[in-house]
This record gives sequence, structure tokens and C-alpha cells, in this order.
Amino acid sequence: MAGGRLAGTQPRMSRRGVLGAAALACAFSSRSAVASPASGGHLRFAGLVGSAADTLDPARMAVGNDFIRGRSFYDGLVALDDQLAVHPALATRIESDDFVTWHLTLRRGVTFHDGKPFTAADVVYSLSRQRDPAVASQQQFFARDMAEIRAVGPYEVRIVLEEPNIGFPSILALDSFAITRDGTTDFATANGTGPFICTEFRPGIVTTGRRNPAYWGVAPGVDTFSLIAIPDDMSRHDALLSGDVDVIGSANPRLVRLLREHGFGIIESPVGSYTNLGLRLDRVPGSSRDFVEGVKYLFNREQVRDSVFLGFARIGNDHPVPPEDPDYAADLPLREYDPERASYLIRKSGFAEADPALFCSPAALASADIAVVLQYAAQKAGIGMTIRRMPVDGYWSQYWMRMPMSFGNTNARPSLDIAFAQSFASRAPMNESRWSDPRFDQLLLQARRERDGGRRRQICHDMQAMIRDEAGICIPAFTTSLDAFSARVRGLRPDRAGQLMGYNFLRHVRLADDGAPA
Amino acid sequence: MRDLFALRRKIPPGTRRILTLLSAWLLLALLGPMLAPHPPGEIISGEVFGPVSAHAWLGTDYLGRDLCSRLLWGIRYTVAICMMSTALSCCAGIFLGIATTVTPVWVERVLGRLMDGLLSIPSLLFALLVVATAGESAPALILTMAIIYMPGSYRTSRALALRIVRMDYITAARARGETRSFIILWEILPNMTDPLLSDIGLRFIYAVLLLSNLSFLGLGVQPPMVDLGSLVRENILGMAYGAPAVVVPTLVIALLTVGINLTLDRGRV
Amino acid sequence: MKGRPGSLSAGRSVMGRLVMSRLGAAGFSLVFVIVTIFVITSALPGDVADTLLGQGATPEATARLREALHLDQPAWLRFWHWAGGMLTGDPGRSLLTGHPVSELVLPRLHNSLLLAGATAAVSVPLALAAGLACAMFRGGWFDRIVTFLTLATVSVPVFLIATLAVFVFAVQLKIVPSLSDIGSIHSVWQFIRVFLMPVLTLTSVTVAQMVRMIRACMIDVLSAPYIEMAVLKGLSPQRIVLLNALPNAIGPVVNAIALSLSSLLGGVVVVETVFSYPGMAGLMVESVAARDIPVVQCCALVFCVAYLALTTTADIVGIASASRKRDA
Repeated sequence: MAGGRLAGTQPRMSRRGVLGAAALACAFSSRSAVASPASGGHLRFAGLVGSAADTLDPARMAVGNDFIRGRSFYDGLVALDDQLAVHPALATRIESDDFVTWHLTLRRGVTFHDGKPFTAADVVYSLSRQRDPAVASQQQFFARDMAEIRAVGPYEVRIVLEEPNIGFPSILALDSFAITRDGTTDFATANGTGPFICTEFRPGIVTTGRRNPAYWGVAPGVDTFSLIAIPDDMSRHDALLSGDVDVIGSANPRLVRLLREHGFGIIESPVGSYTNLGLRLDRVPGSSRDFVEGVKYLFNREQVRDSVFLGFARIGNDHPVPPEDPDYAADLPLREYDPERASYLIRKSGFAEADPALFCSPAALASADIAVVLQYAAQKAGIGMTIRRMPVDGYWSQYWMRMPMSFGNTNARPSLDIAFAQSFASRAPMNESRWSDPRFDQLLLQARRERDGGRRRQICHDMQAMIRDEAGICIPAFTTSLDAFSARVRGLRPDRAGQLMGYNFLRHVRLADDGAPA
Repeated sequence: MRDLFALRRKIPPGTRRILTLLSAWLLLALLGPMLAPHPPGEIISGEVFGPVSAHAWLGTDYLGRDLCSRLLWGIRYTVAICMMSTALSCCAGIFLGIATTVTPVWVERVLGRLMDGLLSIPSLLFALLVVATAGESAPALILTMAIIYMPGSYRTSRALALRIVRMDYITAARARGETRSFIILWEILPNMTDPLLSDIGLRFIYAVLLLSNLSFLGLGVQPPMVDLGSLVRENILGMAYGAPAVVVPTLVIALLTVGINLTLDRGRV
Repeated sequence: MKGRPGSLSAGRSVMGRLVMSRLGAAGFSLVFVIVTIFVITSALPGDVADTLLGQGATPEATARLREALHLDQPAWLRFWHWAGGMLTGDPGRSLLTGHPVSELVLPRLHNSLLLAGATAAVSVPLALAAGLACAMFRGGWFDRIVTFLTLATVSVPVFLIATLAVFVFAVQLKIVPSLSDIGSIHSVWQFIRVFLMPVLTLTSVTVAQMVRMIRACMIDVLSAPYIEMAVLKGLSPQRIVLLNALPNAIGPVVNAIALSLSSLLGGVVVVETVFSYPGMAGLMVESVAARDIPVVQCCALVFCVAYLALTTTADIVGIASASRKRDA
């Protein structure tokens, strides 16, 4: 094992050392200092996606409302702050000498909602089940990296990884690794340790919760909440405007003006989620480097930002690192819209007359609109492209990643390591362009065992440059997540971890009944 | 041809009015896109849901594209696809509906159950299957819409025909030894044109609206082209601002469908 | 004609046999639809394993999950298990959530029946009255206004009517809630507040359709020779419509009403979406998207039974009215 050699030769890293190393170099604004005393009341929330597939099983959580439920009823071993830095939660210490064997010390005196005390057995169960194919965990990919998960004491757990990874604590922040009670197989209700106790869960209809009086951490600011999904954009905003809900997620950029005119607040979170075009490098026309590069020059990024997202976006440089990330490679020139160069490259590739199909779908946010912008640019450059808008139904399983050119949509990831490993490494499950470069894989492993922050930044920089120039992925813009709230809601703030304060907002908001602006 | 001729002989002035209106719309569908000031995919303004201006005659849509150009293209797709699919579904539905009143009972038994089955299969499932198997070509689209609306037309026309079949003049025709097709085309059909025209008109309206639903599913007209219903749908958020992008296409749909229906109504004897 | 009942005296028993055969035929349609739906859902690309694993699916993980869910069994075997369960009254379990299908479907069915029932209660009498009135005063101002209004309503996309209704009445005027929160209903007044807009939206569509058809059928009957006789006898138009024409138009009229109503369970996806109404149509759409075949099958079965119940009733009414005429 690569990292094993280091064992014993290095001093044990302190919790702060390891957690700090995995975290981003930004000042941590303590949430507990910001959170105000509990003020009570009932908060009503409406999110974007909800259906009969709604779940309380952390393993299966895949959409916004699932994450909100998960982060209200359960706790993770660690938690992320608004700058993606890792902080202790159910684990008070996470230590490793070699980044292969990790020693977790658990918080004492925590109880589940059913009264059972929280111990190491719950951690072993919650993490181990993610590896069972029948559980169908969303995070099987990372769960399989945990070769051994063992309780070494009532409040101590040892996890041995397949490969060293200094960023492992960030992986534990993924929603699927939330802790449930040992042996739980029925998720009709949630039995977690979180700040809220589930009082009702009807998939596709409503979820309600009440404050957990025995919560170990900072008590939430509301007594009870109800959570519904309103997929129709206008209806979701109507619900907020008419006062039937207090907070909505995924506010539409086109309705921001209306909301502001009516006195509602908007939170703009610079999250690292993006809608991208993936060109498969193992299929024509993506097999031609010139063609791929030409398509990258066809993206009118300002137009995507301004006309598709109405300015609520940041321009992307064809790699998955958003500009506000401290590790963003600012010296890489932004790829400009250059139809002449694109036309030259695509003609050189020999696929100028290929009339390739751009597969898009309402399933991937704004993909049909970005496709229209791209197709028009191509048309002006003398290149024909056909847009094929497919149903939401079955898009991810049938068209995305399967077709030579398809649009995808990637959520913000807790760390760059996770983003690289999940979407760009040769064996990555979501390697949309089938890009495979042993040098990149090597850099990824190198970064995972690199102790020196400066050298890690350099490696991260090189990886961005490689993705930008070699992979078949076009990332024209990163979307800015918009949450909207009524005047009685206090405490919502922007968060890089994701919309709605990284889906944690129910832990932090409170209600002011005087109705004065926050 | 012969049944068309029969219709014509029966209601000449009305038919003329219907034909005039239909040709006007067909002409607009044919020539309209040539008059479009911009390509349908071009973003001409940074302002979305923009107002009527010299630059954008009917304002801009949700991306800042020229609504007028998109409307002209939308008329072409909606008129062409909906007229064809309505004609196809009603011809088949009406013919089968009447035919089963004069054929042996077992024909109706089999066909009727098949139609009932088709009618009660959710059209969403049916459309998804077509996307998955046949792709989203225009003929697949027209055929899908025709099949979705045929059973309704069948049931309506059969219910109407059943009543006529009991009339004395049909019995007389049978006694004369007329052939089945003669009875269908010359004795039954001309006597049920009024409610049938009403039914056809309604089906045309549904076709216009269904097309936008199918577009949303992926089966319909592909971007950057658009049909009238989808034009309303994609700009629905503009409603909050009273944008022409949602008002104008709605009015055009109403003009098209109400106009054709009123003409069909007045076209009667 | 061969096989067609011609005897006048045997009217009652002939009608009995017709009704029985119609019911039998409905059963046959039911089987046909169930098999077809199963074939279609099996033919759709992707399955529930893809849904569960989402974007992170690897071929290996998908294969293992398929095994765990018995999706690797041949389709006919799965159908056999499902049909067997259905015959003993057990619609099985959702592949997606593992919960019994009946738990998912029954509350939604209750909601859908409530909405459909309320809509029918408003729209059928309204449509009958308006349709008959149009026929009575054919060509008059009432007829013209109703004709224009019905055409105009039916021409506007339902999603626009519904969205506009919510925006105006819930957001601007704040007189009704924007969400159909059925859990909040504890009084008749709350029931009206919650159901007002969905029911009115659905009514506007179904009424227009029914009025058009009823009017057309009535006018058609009114052109028959015996009506001309009645006119010559000097009977009033109202009397003629209600006493002479209506009984003869019952078959087509009931058929038109049945067809309009049959779409109120499964064909109201848009209304359910805009008003956030938890009904069957939405469940079906979600389950198709997730490829949760037991739930899709159960929804399809419910829609089919509802449709067949309505059309079979319409047919039987038609047969009854025809045989009554024969007996007369």
C-alpha cells in the first residue's frame, strides 16, 4: 500500500491538521455563533423535485428535497460549512497517519429519535450498507473504496481505504453517508440523530418534522416544518407569492424581478453545479480532437450566462472548478467564442457535413436553451447541428453518456477531489466523454496523498488544464442557485455547498413574525 | 373522393367558406416563414419577454428571440401537422364507426374492443413508446396523433350512425339491395354531417393542444423550431409580466381554432 | 342482418342479452389493456434499476440490483406473478420504494375520485342545460354566445387557464389558496376554497366539449321527419326538445358525456401539476418515469376500469333507450 510506508514515521496528525488539510483555505464563519436563539413557529417549504420516488433512505437520496429531509432528520459524521470546509459532527475526531487507515472518534451522549444511544455499531452499519448492491446506493463508487469498516470501541471506528486519500473526510460529508440506526431496513420514517424528528412522510406529497428536544447540537430556530415539491415553476412561485409557503428552492431567474417587486428576498449561492455538453471521444465525431476543440470555441459563453441564465451564472472554462473556488486556475485563459476558429477546426476534422445530433432534455437544466445557442452559433459558422430534445423520462439512462453528443447536469460536489474522481478519472462512473488519460489518474492519486498544500494546489491546477484541453466536456457556465423567501424568514445565507445553505437551511433559519425585512 | 363530393353536393356555400379559410391558413403556413425577419433560433435582444418594438415587432421571447419570426414558423408546424393528423384520424374513425353499423356483429365486437383498449391506454405511455421506438420524425408524430384521436372519432360516429341505421330509408335501401359501401357513403354519412363537423372541429383543437404536450415530451417539433402550443408553454412565465410572448400565440391559437370551428358550424345546411 | 335482433316482442330479453354481452366485452377489453400496458412498459427503454442508481449507475451495479429486484426474470414470468397477485387482490409492491402498491394508489385514487366527482357534479348539469338551451334557441343570441364561449375556452391550453387562474385568484386577489392542500379540509367552506379552482378549470374544459356534442346531437335529432311533424302540430320548441327529441338523442348524448368524463381520472396531469393536487394522473406519470411497473399497471388498471365503466354504462343506456323505442 502506497501510504503504508509513512506509518509511524510521521507524527500523528491532529484532527485540526487533517480536517484543515481537506478543507479549503478560507476562514470558517461559525454557524453556531450566527444561529440565534430558537424562536419557534412553523416553516413551510416548497422544492423543485418530488415524486413517488421520494425517500428517507440516505443511500437513495438523489434530489434536493431528499437532501433537505436527510440533513434535517439525520446527521453526518462530518458537516460542511458555507466554504466547503469540513467540520466535526457525529465524529469529533478524524485522524490518519497514512491517509489509508482512518480513525474516527465518535460523539458521546447522542441518541436516536427512538431513544437508542448512538454508538460505533450505527456507523459501521450505515457505511457498510452503501456497499451492498441490493441497497442501490447513489454513492456505491466511493463506498467501495472503503475496504474495511470496523468498530474498535463503543465510540471508535476504523476505516481502511483501498488507496490513500487525504480528502476522505469530505467524502464522508456526502448525503448518502448520513448515520441511521444499526439494522434499519424500513425507511417509512426516519430514525436519525438530527435536529428534527419526522412526524409524517408521504412520498410525492408531504414531509413534516418537529424539533428534536434532545438534539445534541444547536437547536433549530423553528418548531415544526412542512416540505412539499412543486415541480411547475410558475406554481412554485405562486405558492410563495400568495403566502402559502415561506421558502422555495430553485427560484427561476425569469421570476426574480417579480419576486423582488413583491418584496421577497432572494439568496444567490455560487454553487459549482453546471450544465455541460459531453462529446464522446470514442465515437465519431468526438473521436477527432479538432472537432472537439472546434465545438468548445462555438460556445458563446456570455450569451449562455446572460440570455439563458439572465446573468445568474458564472462563466466556465470547460473544467469543473468554478471561478470562486480558491483552487481555481485563474491563469488559464478563458476560452472565447471564436466562430472562425471553430469553423476552421471543424472543417479540418472532416466532420463539417456530419450534421451531428445534440441530445438534450428538460431533465438537464436549461440544456435545450444552451443547445439552441450552440446550434445557432454553429449555423452561423456554416456547421449544421440538429437538436434532439428527449423526454425527461429515461433521459439519464438512455441518452446521456450513450449518445455521441449529449447534455448533462452535474450537482455541486463537496470537494474537487470528488468532482475529479466521479466525472473525469479513467474509471469514473460519470466519465461523460470516455476520456482516459493515465497521467490524469496519476495526478489524482498523487494529490490524494500529498501533504503539502502548495503542491496540492499545483497538481489541482494541472488537472484543470488537462480537463480543459483534453476532455470532451464543454462547461460554458456554472449556475448560480437561487432561493427565495418571504419577509418573515431570517437567517438564510449564500452557501457554496449547494442551494438552501447546502440543504441545511432548516437547521439555521428562524421566523420573525413582525414581518419587517431581514 | 366520392364522399367529399357527396358533402359538396349537400352544402355548397358552407363548403366554400370552409375551403377558403383552410386555404388561407395553409397559405400562411407555406409562405409565413419566408416573411420571418429573423431565424427562429437567433437571440436578437438581451431583454427577455420584451415589449413590442420596431426591432421586434411582437416583442421577444423568454430567451430574447424574435417572437414574430417564431410565431410564423409555429403556424407552419401547427397547421400542417394538426390538419393532417385530424384528417387522418377522422377519416379512419368515421369510416370504421359507420361501417360497423352495417357489417356483421362480430366485426364491431373485435374492433370496438380494440378501440376501447386504445382509448383507455394513457396517451402519455403511447407517445413515450413511439419516441423510444420510432424516434421523433414528422410522420411518426402525425401517425401518433391520428391513432390517439381515432377511437374517439370512432365512438362518436358509431353512436350517431346507430341512430340513423334504424331509419326507414336505410331499411329501404337495404331492401333495394344496395351495397354496404353505398349505404355508408350515400345514405348514412350525408345524414350525420352536422354533428360530425362539430366533432372534427373539436378534434382539431385537441390536436393543436396535444402537439404542444408532445413537444414537451420530446416527440413533437424539435428546437429551435416550435409549434403554437409550445410557444405559449415555453413563455408561460411571461404571463406574470403580461408579455406579448404569451398573449400573442394564445390569440393566434384561438383565431385558428375558433375560426375553423365557427366556419364549420355555419357551413351547415 | 345476421345476428342482429329484429324481433319486437322479445325486446326485454334481447336487451338483457345485449347488456350481458357488453359487460363481457368490457372484461375482454380490460384483459387486452392490461396485457398491452405490460408489453408497452416492458418495451420502454430502461428499468427501475436505472432509476434507483441514477447518474451513478455502473453496468455491474445495475446488473446486481436487477437480480435483487428479480428484474432478470423473463417478462412473462413477472407478468404471471403480477396477474396471480392481482387475482387474489394483491397488486404487489412498488419496485421503487418497496411499499405495497395499494398504499400508494388508494389515497391518490380517493383524491382523484373526489376531484372527478366534484367536476362531474358541476359540469354535467351545466353542460346538459346549456346544450339543450342552445338546441332550443338554435341560431339565437344565447346559442351564439355559448358557442363562441365554449370554443374560446376549449382553444386555450389548459395549463394557461390553470396558471392564469392561480396567478389572478391566489396571488393577486388572495381569495383562494394556491395549493390544493387536501389535508387542511375540515369544513365545507374549506372544501370549496380548495376545490374551487381545480374544479372550475376542469369544468371549463369538459363543459365546452360536452356542450358542443350535446348541441350537435340535439340539432341532428331535431332535423328528423317526426320532429317536423311535431312542429306542424304546433308544439312549442321547448316541448319538442324535451319530450320528442331528447329521448331519441339519449344514446349519443350519454356517449359524449361518458367520453368527456373518462378523461377526468387519467387525463388531468396538467391540472394536478399546476394546483399541486396529489392525484392518480401524476402518480402514473411519475411511475412511468421511474419504470415502477407494478404501480404503472395498477394505475392503468384503474383508468381502464373507470373508462370501461363509463362507456359501458353509456352503451347500455343507449341500448336501453333504443329498445324502449322498439317496445313503444
